[in-house]
Amino acid sequence: MKRTNSKPKIGLVLILITCHLFLTGCWGKREVEQLAPLIGEGFDLGEKPGTFLITQQFAKPKTGGETGAEIEDRTFSVEVSNARESIEKISRVTYRTPFMGSLKVIVISEDAAKAGGFNDILDFGQRYSEFRRSMYLVLAKGKAQDILNLKLRAGLLPAMAIKNNIEGADELSSFPTVRLGHYLTILGTKSTAPILPVVESVKTGEGIKYKADGTDEAGEIRIQGAGVLRGDRLVDFLTDEETKGYMWLENYVIHRYIDTVDLEENSVKFGGQVLRSSTKYKVKANNGKIELQYQIKASIAVDEVLGLKKQLSGAEWVELMKGAEKSFAKVIEKECELSIKKERELGLDFLGIGRHIEQRNSAYWKTIKDHWEEEIKDFPISLDVQVTVHHTGMSSSSAINSGGEGQE
Amino acid sequence: MERISPHQFMTLGAAVLMGTTFLPVASMVTGVGGRDGWMSVLPGIAVGIPYGLMVISLLEQYPRKNLLQISETLFGKWIGKIIGVFYISITGYFGGLLLGQAGDIYEVSIMPLTPLGMFYLGGLLLVFYLVWSGIEVFARFSEVIFPIIIIAMVLNIGLSIPRVEQGELMPILSEGIKPLFRGGIKVLPFAMEYILFLAGILSFLPTGKKELGQLKTGVWRAVFLVGILDMLVVLIQILVFGPAETIRLVYGLLVLGKMVEVSRTVAGVESLFLGVWLGALVIKVSAFFFTVTWGLETVFSLKGLKWNLAVGVVFMGIAFKFTRGPSLIMEIGLVDNYLIFPFASIWILTLWGVSRWKKGAGIQ
Repeated sequence: MKRTNSKPKIGLVLILITCHLFLTGCWGKREVEQLAPLIGEGFDLGEKPGTFLITQQFAKPKTGGETGAEIEDRTFSVEVSNARESIEKISRVTYRTPFMGSLKVIVISEDAAKAGGFNDILDFGQRYSEFRRSMYLVLAKGKAQDILNLKLRAGLLPAMAIKNNIEGADELSSFPTVRLGHYLTILGTKSTAPILPVVESVKTGEGIKYKADGTDEAGEIRIQGAGVLRGDRLVDFLTDEETKGYMWLENYVIHRYIDTVDLEENSVKFGGQVLRSSTKYKVKANNGKIELQYQIKASIAVDEVLGLKKQLSGAEWVELMKGAEKSFAKVIEKECELSIKKERELGLDFLGIGRHIEQRNSAYWKTIKDHWEEEIKDFPISLDVQVTVHHTGMSSSSAINSGGEGQE
Repeated sequence: MERISPHQFMTLGAAVLMGTTFLPVASMVTGVGGRDGWMSVLPGIAVGIPYGLMVISLLEQYPRKNLLQISETLFGKWIGKIIGVFYISITGYFGGLLLGQAGDIYEVSIMPLTPLGMFYLGGLLLVFYLVWSGIEVFARFSEVIFPIIIIAMVLNIGLSIPRVEQGELMPILSEGIKPLFRGGIKVLPFAMEYILFLAGILSFLPTGKKELGQLKTGVWRAVFLVGILDMLVVLIQILVFGPAETIRLVYGLLVLGKMVEVSRTVAGVESLFLGVWLGALVIKVSAFFFTVTWGLETVFSLKGLKWNLAVGVVFMGIAFKFTRGPSLIMEIGLVDNYLIFPFASIWILTLWGVSRWKKGAGIQ
């Protein structure tokens, strides 16, 4: 186009400026002070059939707080048939517009998970654009509402406490981290059963003691174990050890504390930290049958030696640590075997064995995928665990009691 | 007569070829090609290379003429004009649909309450300004915006790597190579959209021997650059979401953008990505606006502000006709598969074949 006539150009510029003035209004614009950031959400079964009790935990910046990061708890529960309805009902009392982009944790109660069908109520979370798929999913022992209404001794919102526990879990690697996106991806595989970590409230004396504030209410929160689902229906819980086995087998162990105290065969026991670990999978033929072999390699730093009665020479210390490697390997094997046993009992492939077979021998997978749940029960699985003790801390051997007391 | 340099031709071509293909491509190819769909993207888009070279060879033979003028020369006035009417109709309709997509993308993702018309109007004003400024300014605009689009995309892909799920890419080729053909067919229309733009821009290209060589190189580079980027976009989505979710997500890259977190501190950067991608959308809609104006000028000798305004009104009308997002997505797919692909592939091939035959037979 030639630019010979300047009048249309001036007109165009005027139109642009005028429209620009309107565009800056941005329909739907909301000032940040008017937003109620949603931090946690809980799903329980409602009293009426087909309804859910949805609990939403909002963060409200504390006025006059010592730091700008202090927040107050604003938690509401409503019985609704869908998630949108909960937003409407809660918006009427929050005085501010709920903002979903800040949601960190969704807590699904044991009952709601056992009844199944919570994917319907999750649909809003994966469809509405404000939500992020990076939010965490957890199962609650008991009611989700109770978990989110806890008054924690640390003063944290329960949703934030759960989030912090999950995000610090790399040091423990004792439960899986499940984000909404991961859960949906696992559902998409069809052969793998989803698994969610379990959160529970902890009263003093329930595995740990603390100075309670005088009430019978729990003041702490703990994530331990996991729940196995068939689709969106909870089938069973995994114990702490079974969950740890899952973590090894699924290559999710980053760092971990581990000890050999429960092994009966050795008098000297060890405690240590897993520095790194990797799990590889091999699908191979063994006596004419296809089997899956897990190859787990772990590097451990021994930082506790128990029951050593005498000072050892350098060579003896080396031999002892070789024994420690075998002991740690046995502990890992035991945890993995418990997890595999549970998988066979449930007939549900929460370990994703089917996917490992499909990835490495897709032709064979095609022959068994239609009756995979039957195959799980006796599908050959072997373990090859190799542990290397990288170091034994700041000292060799151990401090020995002076002669007499406590000394054999 | 305005002219653009070979470098501008390369960046402009790449920007037009890319457009917003990176938004639906993963869902499209994974839907038909499954887990291996990502492998079909580059070969599918690479079909643009032989077609692009055919177009350049026609430019060599008929300098400073667009393909509509060449069609009139080779097929006769009336057949040429019929082809021109098809060209105007298809590119105009598609441009209007893409303008509609601007509204759909922004309404779905970050501005759900803003009236669709404001997106259409805002987008169209930018397009109109570029068209009004001419092809040189449009090319310079692409030279500035396209690298930013690339950077935003690479950042989105790179920052999504921590979200990769174990083993989602495996097994490779477990269903053989048939799914790759199906995936490739899905992306062929992207290449043909590019070819339709080339058909019109020809008359603004230099025709010196050296420049012709550079133009051919520009075609290669543009196609490979966009093919590789689109392939990476599909790859990262399969790696993060798995095939089932990749198919289900309408604009998967936007969802990835929402999942980006840097050190658990910086999040919610999808709005920045979306801001940049508006540039990609504006380039694509502008390209089709240009093709319509070139078509009108060539076939009916209609040019000037009032005809541009009329095209703008038509674009707005088409966009407003498809305010239902799912219908719009389906319509874009239908136009791609059943109008653009057959029209461009047959037209260019026939034109090139006839020109070669006439040249061989010594007929001018």
